[in-house]
Amino acid sequence: MKYWKYMIFAVCVLVAISLPKFLGVYPLQMLNIIFIYMALAVSWDMLLRSGQMSLGVAGFCGIGGYTTVLCTINLGLNPLVSILIGALLAGLIALLVGYAVLHLRLLYFAIVTLAVTEIFRILVRNFDITGGPEGIILPNAIFKGDAAGTYWLMLAIAVFTIILSWVFQKTRIHFALTSTANDEIVAASSGLNIFKYLVIVFVITSAIQGMVGGAYAQIYGFVTPESSFSVNFVLLPVTMVLLGGSNSTWGPVIGAVLLSVIAEALKLVIPYGHLLVYGIIMIVAILWLPGGIYGIFKKIGAKAHN
Amino acid sequence: MALLKTTNLTRQFGGLAALSDVSMEINEKEVVGVIGPNGAGKSTFTNVIAGLYLPTSGKIEFKGRDISMTLAHERCHLGIARTFQLMRPLHGLNMLENIMMGGLFGKGHSLKVARNNAMEICQFMALEKVERPISAMTALEIKKMEIARALATEPSLLFLDEVMAGLNKDETMEMIETVRKINGQGMTIIIIEHVMRVIRELTHRVIVLEWGKVLCEGLYEDVSADQRVITAYLGEESEC
Amino acid sequence: MINSIVNKFRQRNFVLGFVAVLVIFVLLGIYKPYVLIEGIQRSSLYALIALPMALLLGVVGIINLAHGDFMMLGAYFAYFMNVQLGMDPLVAVVPALIVFFIFGMISYYITFKHVIGAPELNQLLLGFGLSLVLGQAVNIIATNQPRKLSLDYVSSSMKIGDFQFGTYEFIYVAAAILVLVGLQLFLKKTRTGQAALAVGQNPRGAKVVGININWIYLIVFAISVAIIGAIGPIFGTRNTIFPEVGLAYTLKSFALIAVAGIGSLTGVLWVSLILGLSECLVLSSLEYAKWSDIIFFALIIGVIMYRSHQRQVK
Repeated sequence: MKYWKYMIFAVCVLVAISLPKFLGVYPLQMLNIIFIYMALAVSWDMLLRSGQMSLGVAGFCGIGGYTTVLCTINLGLNPLVSILIGALLAGLIALLVGYAVLHLRLLYFAIVTLAVTEIFRILVRNFDITGGPEGIILPNAIFKGDAAGTYWLMLAIAVFTIILSWVFQKTRIHFALTSTANDEIVAASSGLNIFKYLVIVFVITSAIQGMVGGAYAQIYGFVTPESSFSVNFVLLPVTMVLLGGSNSTWGPVIGAVLLSVIAEALKLVIPYGHLLVYGIIMIVAILWLPGGIYGIFKKIGAKAHN
Repeated sequence: MALLKTTNLTRQFGGLAALSDVSMEINEKEVVGVIGPNGAGKSTFTNVIAGLYLPTSGKIEFKGRDISMTLAHERCHLGIARTFQLMRPLHGLNMLENIMMGGLFGKGHSLKVARNNAMEICQFMALEKVERPISAMTALEIKKMEIARALATEPSLLFLDEVMAGLNKDETMEMIETVRKINGQGMTIIIIEHVMRVIRELTHRVIVLEWGKVLCEGLYEDVSADQRVITAYLGEESEC
Repeated sequence: MINSIVNKFRQRNFVLGFVAVLVIFVLLGIYKPYVLIEGIQRSSLYALIALPMALLLGVVGIINLAHGDFMMLGAYFAYFMNVQLGMDPLVAVVPALIVFFIFGMISYYITFKHVIGAPELNQLLLGFGLSLVLGQAVNIIATNQPRKLSLDYVSSSMKIGDFQFGTYEFIYVAAAILVLVGLQLFLKKTRTGQAALAVGQNPRGAKVVGININWIYLIVFAISVAIIGAIGPIFGTRNTIFPEVGLAYTLKSFALIAVAGIGSLTGVLWVSLILGLSECLVLSSLEYAKWSDIIFFALIIGVIMYRSHQRQVK
C-alpha cells in the first residue's frame, strides 16, 4: 500500500510544528498567510469537484470573522471557541442558502453565493452592533499576538482541511462528487441523491471558510466590512487552485505556496495592479494547463511509470 | 400482480405530447420489447418511468405503489434501473468504480461491499481488467459496464435502452446471450430496440409505440405481421 | 412585430402584468413624481447594459463575466478621447462601436473560442480571469483614481410646475429602446441573426445544415462586445469611472436576465423597470437609503430561489 505517502505527510507536519523554534517572526507570518490561503484553496476545490463553484468564499470568511469577534467581545468567549462558533454560523448560513438554491447550477449558484457575500457586507456596514463602516477592533489579538501560537493555530486549520480533503477523496463522497460533475443524469439513475451531497459539501466547505475567516480576524485583531469580506479571499484561492491543479488535494496546496510567494514579490514589483498577473494565470491555466502544475507532475509520473 | 403498471401516462413538452395515454402492464420475470419508429416516444417512455421527467398526467405504479411523483434516485432505490441510449460512462471514475456507483448509492452499501459486489457482477458480465480507465475500454465493454452499473443497484426492473446499437454481429450475439443470462436470474427486463432480431430472440411480448401512443401489443410474430405496424415503419422509411 | 404585440395582449398574465405596471406608474407619479422619472432613467440604464449580455447568453449561450469590464473600457476610451482629442463622448460612441467590435473579435479568438463546448464552468472561470485582466490593466495604465468628465449638457433639466428633473438621462431610455429594437431586427431580419438563433437552439444541427457555427459565435460575441463597449461612453458622460466600475453591472445584468428568463430580450426591459423603480423609491427616503443595494441582492436571491423551487417540482 501507499503508506509512504502518509509517512511523508506526517514528517512534514512534524517539521512544520517545530518550525517556530528556528524561524523569526516575519517568516512565520508569511507562513500564516500561506496556510490561510491553503485552507481556502483546498476547501474551494472540494466543492469544485462536484462541478459547482462558490464565489461566496469571502462572504463566509467575513461571516466567520464578524461572528468570532462579536462572540469574544460581547459574550466574553474564549477566542478558540468563538472561532468554532463562527465556523458553525457560516455552515448554518450555507445550509439555508444551499437548501434554497442548490437545485440550480453553476452560474445561478455562483451568483447567489456572491450575492450572499454582498448582503452580509451591507448588513455589517449598516448595523451598529457590527461597528458600521469602521468595523470592530479586538482589545487583544489571539494568544496576545504570540507568533508561534498563531502559527500553530493556522497550521492546525490547514492540516485539518487537507485531511478532510483526503477523506473526501477516499470515501463515497468522491464517487458522489465525481459522478455529479461528470453526468448528473447517470448519477441520479444510479441512486445518488445529488442535492443532498451538494448541500453537505457546500456546508462543510463553507464552515471551513468561516473558520479561516474567524482565525484571520482573531490573529489580526480587527474586522471591517472591506477587509473581512475582501475580494482577495475568493480571487486568490481560485487562482491558486487553477494554477496548482483542481480536483486534487495537492494541486491547491502547491498553488497556495507558489502564489503566496509570487504575490509577495509582485506587490513590490507592481504595487498597483498586481492582480493582473492572477487574471493572466487564470486564463492561461484554463486554456492551456487544465490539470495545473500538479497535473504536469502526474503526467510525468505516469510516463516514468510506464 | 403486475410489477409495473402505467395508467393513461402522458408527458407533454410545450404543447407537444411525446407520450399520450399510455397504459400497459409489465409482469414479473417478463422480457418486454418496446419498439416504434423514431420519435414514437420510446425514450420519453423510459425517461418518465425512470423518473428523469415527471408525467404531465397519468399514473405509474411499481410493485403496487404509486411512484408517479418520485424522483429519479428514489426510483432507483425502489428497484428501477436503466442504461442509456448513448453511452454515458463516468469519465472521472474507472470501470470498477463506475459499477460501484450502483451499490454505493442505489443500495447504500459500504465501499467494501460495493466493491465486492461490483467484482462479482464483472465476473458475471465477463468484464476483465476492472481497474482500467474508461479511455482504455471498447464500446462493447462500456455498454456492458453500463448494464453492470445498472445491475449493481440490485433492481427488480431493468430498462435496456438500445444497448445493441453500434455493435457488430458477433458483439450483438454476445450481448443477447448476456441479456438472456440476466433474465435467467429472474430479472424483469424492458428492451427498447431498433434491431428486430434482438426483439425476436429475446422478448416474450412486444409493445409498439407510435406518436406517443400504444399502437398495439402482443407476441413478436403477431405484431410484426400487423398491418398497422408495417405501415408505421414503412411510412417512416418513405419519408426518409 | 405588431402582430406579436397584439398576440401578447391576448394572454391574461401579460395583460395583468401590464395593468399592474401602469397602476404602479400612476400611483408613483402622484406620490413621488421624481422617483418615477429617476426610476425610469435608472431602469433604462440597467436594461441598456443588460441587453448585450442577454443577446450573448440568451441566444448563443455564452456567459461573459467580463461584460461590465468591456463597458468600463468603453468609458475610459471615451474619457481619453475627450481629454486628449476633445472628442465629445457621445460622438465617441461611433468609433467605440468599431474599436470594440474588433477588440471583441480578438478577445474571442484568444479566449472564449477555446471553451465553446467545454464545461460551462470553464467559461465562468475564463470570464472571471478576463474581467480581472481588463480591470487591472486599466488600473496599471490609468491608475485607480476615479475620473469624471465635466460636460455642461448632462446637467440639463426641466421644470414642470415646481417639480424639477434632469432631462439628459432620458438618453438612456432612447438608447435602451434603440438597442432593443436593433437586436430584435438583427435576430429576426438578418440571415446571421437567424443563424445565431439556430446555433443557440442546436449547435450540432446548425452545423449539419451548413451554418458556420464558429463564425456565428465570433460575430455574436463581437456584436455584444461592440454594443457594450459603445455603451461605455454614454455611461461615462454622467458617472464617475474607475477600474472596477463594471463589476456591479455584470452582476446586475445577469440578475436581470435570470429574472426575465434567459432568452427574453423584452423581459429584460420590464424587470429593469421593477428594479430601477424600487431602488429609487428606497433611495428617496433618507432613512432607508443605505439599504437600497440590499433590494437588488434580495431580488436575485428571491428569484433564483423561486426558479430553484420550480426546477425541483418540474
